[in-house]
Amino acid sequence: MSSRTANATVDANEVPESLSSVVRDAALVVTCGPGGVGKTTTAAALALAAADAGRKVIVVTVDPAKRLADTLGIQGAAGGDPVEVPGATQHPHGSLWAQMLDAETTFDRLITDRAGDATRAEAILANPIYRSIAGSLAGAQEYMAIERLHQLVTSGEWDLIVIDTPPSRHAIDLLGAPDRLVSFFSHPVYRVLTVPGRSFARITNAGASTFLWAIRRLAGAKVVEDTVEFFRSLSGMEAGLRQRAAETAKILRRDGTAFVLVSSPRAEAIDEAVHLAGALRTGGFPLLATVINLVHPTPLPLASPAKPLASGPLADQFALHADLVALAADEAREMTTLRTLAGGVPVIEVPLLDDVQDLSGLANLGRHLLEPDD
Amino acid sequence: MAARRTAPHGATPAWLGHTRVLVVVGKGGVGTSTVAASLAVLASRGGADVLLVSVDGKPGLGPLLGGTPLAPDEQVLRPLDPSPGRIRGRTITPKQAFGDYLELKGFGSLLRRAASAASFDVIAGSTPGMEHLLVLGKIKELDRERAADLIIVDAPPAGHAAPFLRSASALRATVASGPVRDQADEVSALLADHARSQCVMVTLPEETPVNEVIELAYDLEEDLGLALAPLVVNACWPDRPGFALSAAAAAKQQQVSLPVASRRALDDAVTFARGIVERQRVQFGRLDQALPLPRVHVPRLPIARLMPAHIDVLADALATVPVVPGEVAR
Repeated sequence: MSSRTANATVDANEVPESLSSVVRDAALVVTCGPGGVGKTTTAAALALAAADAGRKVIVVTVDPAKRLADTLGIQGAAGGDPVEVPGATQHPHGSLWAQMLDAETTFDRLITDRAGDATRAEAILANPIYRSIAGSLAGAQEYMAIERLHQLVTSGEWDLIVIDTPPSRHAIDLLGAPDRLVSFFSHPVYRVLTVPGRSFARITNAGASTFLWAIRRLAGAKVVEDTVEFFRSLSGMEAGLRQRAAETAKILRRDGTAFVLVSSPRAEAIDEAVHLAGALRTGGFPLLATVINLVHPTPLPLASPAKPLASGPLADQFALHADLVALAADEAREMTTLRTLAGGVPVIEVPLLDDVQDLSGLANLGRHLLEPDD
Repeated sequence: MAARRTAPHGATPAWLGHTRVLVVVGKGGVGTSTVAASLAVLASRGGADVLLVSVDGKPGLGPLLGGTPLAPDEQVLRPLDPSPGRIRGRTITPKQAFGDYLELKGFGSLLRRAASAASFDVIAGSTPGMEHLLVLGKIKELDRERAADLIIVDAPPAGHAAPFLRSASALRATVASGPVRDQADEVSALLADHARSQCVMVTLPEETPVNEVIELAYDLEEDLGLALAPLVVNACWPDRPGFALSAAAAAKQQQVSLPVASRRALDDAVTFARGIVERQRVQFGRLDQALPLPRVHVPRLPIARLMPAHIDVLADALATVPVVPGEVAR
């Protein structure tokens, strides 16, 4: 499929009218937003819509909560190979694949793939510092998403890649991950520690020796040995990491990439979404659409009762109606804030739907996303 | 005086009065911070001196309780409804906790300089779980000093709650000796001491949040031996008896005549509410089955932006006697 080059209407400088052009033409969609707003399901629904349009699509989630797995039936596939979602689309050329990222297993794979030889890989994997670092090193998870993204893009296997990011603060971490990891590897202490063939006792660099001394005082000699060993075993892998990080930074900003911001009308979510929209703009990432999920319906107008109601079933119903009116008005006010700050990109409101847990639910969500009623 | 003030709100629930450190956890978007703030108000109504700690640096909690955005320096918060107790608020960042720790342990300026020369990030990054342990260590220290009657911790969200609470036991596996080991031991002891600390989990009456809270509960209790306080189910739509009737029937029962348009508007609203209440009931049933833990149901308020006045309403709801699984089905 050459749709992305032949008909590249998705362009950082050109705002599409709706999400349908994104689904049809984009090569990479990145969904981001605060937690609990249906970001993962939105990513999956967009991916499904693209598959229905005849494209070969993969949706990747880095969200540690296994929501996408729940929805797509790929539980237990974390860190594994992409899984085709059976019966996702009737389109003869379309297919939907899903993959879950898990920092630890992805890190293991990265080590196995890039360590050069099996003995070295084993040494790294067995290192106790590595074992406890793999899942928790600052930005490890985010960085692994970037690595995987790079792999998927360069494989040339996919018409569209949909990446779901961790909740908002971490989404910013995700975008900054390549730079951060590079700066970690550039740290003078790290550089000294990774010089091969020099024994730990003879490290004379002032910064590194005070660093190790501090660790030894705080955590004991064994940890120092493991730390040195760990850093040393990573040496040589770093150039590749840097290069892919730099390439990924470009991919995330190029034509054919579309950022979709997902929020809900609740104030905390809106505040985070506004913040995130600003961060995307500052970072030069192409924000092409904003989705507001979970919007409560505005009830039909209702005249107040002629005289005050005593408590009873009708009073319950009037109270409910008043609550819904108040809620809808409050939500509308919050959404106006986001609309104003979204900078002219389409803002798609999606009503509160029943739990979206299966493929037909995703398809239904997709219809709301692609053909919002005004 | 105190009696008059606390009486209309009901007394502090027993479970809240019995603890010194309360860690509030839940995934992003379930309202963990709001619940933490409301629990602080509730405890202060009973006369407690409360310290509210935001770990994730969410400054918004301060204004919600009549203060300025939370910062590393402690401030006294002034919730809308004055109470006999007191609420102070602050943030704790790993970096700051690290500095305090070194000073407390009497490490000289040499080590402190070494730490900053090597840059905090590299140290914390190379000793995984260290950041979390530092923050928990600081909280443990505050408890040891009896800095407050009750310390309420708004824990990091999303997938980060379990790693946060697990940091101490994980580090004990990696680090065999030295000050870090001591710190990890002491933090583990605090968390496992049911007389001193409890964990409040917050969730929503929806499929995925319920799945996740069930998993989290077993993680926290079985793996870490934490004491679990009643589960807080946030944003529950009130189920009113009138929702069972059509608008026409309800009007007839109250002997009111309603125009057709009004009947339609009410029927529409009621249909919507019934759907939500029904789905909610399914989730309560799942919690009944899977999680033998008392629950407090907090109502969904008809607002999008929470204001200081709402915190009092939520505190009232948190003061109610927890529902025991199995008894809610009615």
